[in-house]
Amino acid sequence: MSLSFMIFLYVFLIATALVISAINDILSAVITLSVFGILLATAFAILQAPDVALTQAVINSGIVTALFLVAFSQTEKPECYSEEEEE
Amino acid sequence: MSSKPYIFRIASLILCVSLGLMLFRGIAALPVTEKVTGPASHYLARTAGETGARNVVGAILFDYRAFDTLGESTVIFTAVCGIAMLFSRRKFHRSSRGLSFIAKRGIGIMVPFLLMYASVIILFGHLSPGGGFQGGTIFATVTVLLCVVFGSSFESQYFPPRTKDILESGGALLFSGIGLIGLAAGTGFLSNIAAGFPAGTFGSFLSAGSVPILNVAVGMKVGAGLSTIFYSMIKMLDAGHDHREGGGIE
Amino acid sequence: MILLSYATAVIIFCIGLYTIMIRRNLFKTVLGLALMESAVLLIIVSSGYIPGGVPPIAPFSGPAVNPLPHAFTLTAIVIGASDIALALAFIVKLHRHYRTVDLDRIRGLRG
Repeated sequence: MSLSFMIFLYVFLIATALVISAINDILSAVITLSVFGILLATAFAILQAPDVALTQAVINSGIVTALFLVAFSQTEKPECYSEEEEE
Repeated sequence: MSSKPYIFRIASLILCVSLGLMLFRGIAALPVTEKVTGPASHYLARTAGETGARNVVGAILFDYRAFDTLGESTVIFTAVCGIAMLFSRRKFHRSSRGLSFIAKRGIGIMVPFLLMYASVIILFGHLSPGGGFQGGTIFATVTVLLCVVFGSSFESQYFPPRTKDILESGGALLFSGIGLIGLAAGTGFLSNIAAGFPAGTFGSFLSAGSVPILNVAVGMKVGAGLSTIFYSMIKMLDAGHDHREGGGIE
Repeated sequence: MILLSYATAVIIFCIGLYTIMIRRNLFKTVLGLALMESAVLLIIVSSGYIPGGVPPIAPFSGPAVNPLPHAFTLTAIVIGASDIALALAFIVKLHRHYRTVDLDRIRGLRG
């Protein structure tokens, strides 16, 4: 693959990483992490590692994002849960 | 956000940048080779003859270094145990009703294709890119979809936690049993062709000895493990909603 | 191209480390952890790359890339996912106990 496309891809990768680090909204950061995972999977595919690319795409877009969203929605509204939840 | 003192941020930034520079200098000193050296060259040259698998990565994972893979799938089991211990509850809670009718119909059309895709990824793991880890994760993603769209009670009705438990233990037992066959043949734990597994013709579906069976075992373990993790986390979410609405079934 | 991959991976690693050091939200800490893990995976995979190589699927039509780093990263990704899941479970448990995900407030509440 051409070097210019690789540079383009890596610049986007660093940009998404900066967004994950800088943004204050957790939900946006989690969605950006999923975009980051897909870009990283593309980079793996260009580096001739199809197995790793497949794993990275499935896990980062499927499982990790879902787990983050579940955990975030549980900790979002602290007034939802009363004190006797923890018995 | 947190109001850390300004000097702390500057110091952290300087520390990170200097650490990164040192790291880059260390990594860039690694030799860049034009050809593969070390054990990898042996794997590349002899995989077709010694295991009969086309996918060299799959052959390394499930033949040469299968014992490592057994340990790594045990790590997932340990994570499942930890999360299940953190979220153990005795009470049964009614779950949410899921999304709209259109979403349910759409997912109902999509799910068989997803299952077929996962099965192909697992079963052809020795011929093409893929294998137990990827296919098992796609199976877990299917259960996540069912959980989100239909509600977790539907998911627990069709894929009960007991079944996932049996699948995970069965995967571990299958993996260890294949290993013990090699031990009984006198060639060592998890040995493949030397233990008498048929090599088959190179490139056909039934080939590579025990590699497809180990793929299926790892797929069972990974799929059941990740699905159990997600289910035990979303169960607490449903319990919280019910508690807020006062509709929990004791 | 390999040096470019190394540089990108090191920059992402530093961004993740900076996130862990500066941010006090526990979710941000786990996100930084995920970034650092991805950077390490990129380093390992690009260390096995050979210019002009082909994927390691058996009838090679040229020099194949090193398959050993792929086998290592494959399991590392799955283990990283279960790792992140365990960290998120701990965060949920901490939130039930302290009603916050802010690390400073959790530390202050403890005394």
